[in-house]
Amino acid sequence: MIASKLKEAILCLRPGLVTLKYPFQPHPPEEDFRGYPEVDADKCIGCGGCAAVCPARAIMIQDIDQNTRRIVRLLERCIFCGRCADVCPEDAITMTKQFELSSDMGREDMESECQVFMATCQRCGRCYEPATPLDRIMQPGFRHDEIKRGGQDSPYEPVKPA
Amino acid sequence: MSAQQLGESVKQRFGDKVISFSVPQPDQLYLTVTSDSIVPVAEYLYKDQGCRFIINSGTDRRQQRGKFLITHFFAQDKEKFYIAVHTEVDEDEPQIDSITPSVPAANWSERETRDMVGVVPTGHPDPRRLVLSDDWPEDLFPLRWDVEHGVKPPSVEGVAPERLAPPEGASVVPIGPYFPVLEEPAYFRVFVEGEEVVGADYRGFYSHRGVEKLGCSVLTYNQIPFIAERICGICGFVHSCSYCQAVERAAGIEVPPRAEYIRTIMLELERIESHTLWLGIAGHIIGFDTVLMQTWRMREPLMWLCERISGNRKTYGMNLVGGVRRDIKPEIYDDIRQVLTDIEREWQELYDAIPGDSTLMARLQGTGILPTEVARSLGAAGPTARGSGLAIDVRVDHPFAAYDRLEVTKCVYDGCDNLARTLVRLDETVDSIKIIRQALQDMPEGPIMAEIDEEIPAGCEGMSAVEAPRGEVFHWVLTGTENRPERWRVRAPTYANLQNVPPMLEGNALADVPICIGSYDPCFSCTERMEIVDVNSGQVRVYSQEEILNGDYRRQDD
Repeated sequence: MIASKLKEAILCLRPGLVTLKYPFQPHPPEEDFRGYPEVDADKCIGCGGCAAVCPARAIMIQDIDQNTRRIVRLLERCIFCGRCADVCPEDAITMTKQFELSSDMGREDMESECQVFMATCQRCGRCYEPATPLDRIMQPGFRHDEIKRGGQDSPYEPVKPA
Repeated sequence: MSAQQLGESVKQRFGDKVISFSVPQPDQLYLTVTSDSIVPVAEYLYKDQGCRFIINSGTDRRQQRGKFLITHFFAQDKEKFYIAVHTEVDEDEPQIDSITPSVPAANWSERETRDMVGVVPTGHPDPRRLVLSDDWPEDLFPLRWDVEHGVKPPSVEGVAPERLAPPEGASVVPIGPYFPVLEEPAYFRVFVEGEEVVGADYRGFYSHRGVEKLGCSVLTYNQIPFIAERICGICGFVHSCSYCQAVERAAGIEVPPRAEYIRTIMLELERIESHTLWLGIAGHIIGFDTVLMQTWRMREPLMWLCERISGNRKTYGMNLVGGVRRDIKPEIYDDIRQVLTDIEREWQELYDAIPGDSTLMARLQGTGILPTEVARSLGAAGPTARGSGLAIDVRVDHPFAAYDRLEVTKCVYDGCDNLARTLVRLDETVDSIKIIRQALQDMPEGPIMAEIDEEIPAGCEGMSAVEAPRGEVFHWVLTGTENRPERWRVRAPTYANLQNVPPMLEGNALADVPICIGSYDPCFSCTERMEIVDVNSGQVRVYSQEEILNGDYRRQDD
């Protein structure tokens, strides 16, 4: 009994104090960490690959008119899997090391939108070519109408196709 | 008897009742039988052939066949194969003979099929509602194809679950809805006579998330792994791995060997993480927080290691159909070995200290007895089964990923008590470290993702199991159109182990109930109600969330 307690005491004493004084002493994440997905809107060609593969359906695509495509990202739905960054043919999305993402700006702060000018023919040379047929966009026009922001009582209206 | 021989033997014995059988791979047997012969076939497999019941599944195939497909899954562990017994039930008469009287482990899953698909098991000994909430309409079955995903029927006040009546003279002690030491929702009603527990009843599933429905109606093949991974917060990788393997089997996709090794290493890292976490929780439950502090400290470098490999501490997000997304770079092999060496040294020191500690032993030894026969009949899995002397381990019995090339030891104890289950986990952690070392040494070069050129054809099926830290995870996928499965069935190990809790609790002192429940490492779903027993009248009622918030649960005369 006493021997056991001594062994346990040694086990506790040897490592000493290990608790970090976070946030004063940060523990930076590792190199390939999947944090906040940053989008370079200048690089985006509006192919819609990210919306097709997103498991959380956090990315909505809407064609406003023949030439303009609207891409809305609802970050509150994001699960940080990084599939969008994987499939982006233009490397427009990068998973950053940023993980301290709380905000006091309200829900609007969790939404980002970019509008991409599309050539008149929206399919030629811009289509997303997935590595496997399993990532194919199955329905034209995407499933953006199912996605709502916030809970069921949210006044937010789901985006309807133009 | 191999899968082919067993199929022939069933065919010979039941003749016309067996419509067809097929063995697409040597470890998978698919039987189709008529609906009136399901009980004798299940009895033959369970009693005569010694197969283990896993789960049952209901599929709405009224669109394709005008029928419901009911499937019972069994495992033949000695001969290393899985059996699926399909039966079709007419849509006009959605009922099937219950196999629970002969195969007790089928109790919950038959009730779940009734709740979700609406096929009634006739002759079921305990036909209470299981999965759906108490105010869910009687005639709305969420897994039918014509019920939309995300349907929200209006809530109804004044409903309560049907409860088992306590034995004559016993009192009821409700534990939950928020389990006091696991910090997770669970709702047990423990029947006691004085200090001694004489029975128990469990009601759960209050926040059933409908993950299977999501997979069969909204998501596509390569989106599901990430949702599957979120079925469990501690051992999520096992679910995405098992799902991907099931699809790969159904579609005949060959996974590159390097991807199999990476899956194996991640599974074993997750097992160490989970067992260290469990040991800490167990120490916390019995009031020995030193163990909690020290095991979680040991675990932290492992979490950082996983973050380095996968990009996140938990929910690694590495599996896709056909392989893995991220490679384990050769330059971090040495760092992995270093972390393992540190954990092994400290784990051994802890292991040496435990048997001499009489406080710990007094709480663990001889409490929470789960006899071998009960564990077998109720389908216990993982360390719960191995602590009761059942030598089952998917990694050895049904090798998947790279386990057929690695040396895995089954850690079995026959003490049947909380100590046995603790020792199983202590041993397995040491074994996991050895497996990772061997896998790192043997890891082949090459691609990590199979090239998939064609779509997955509809109507193929695949079964796959993975040994999770808590036991056997089982997934079955029936492929469909529109780039998604027609049916995806999941069985988590806690589903089987929870059914073993009431017999495990009987005969214990009330003070030992938390560690008994904790000893099989439960993973609960959420519940949102509470039960109050009026000590004067013995009346029992459940209060709704609104009443609790309003403070209506206080005694009327206060």
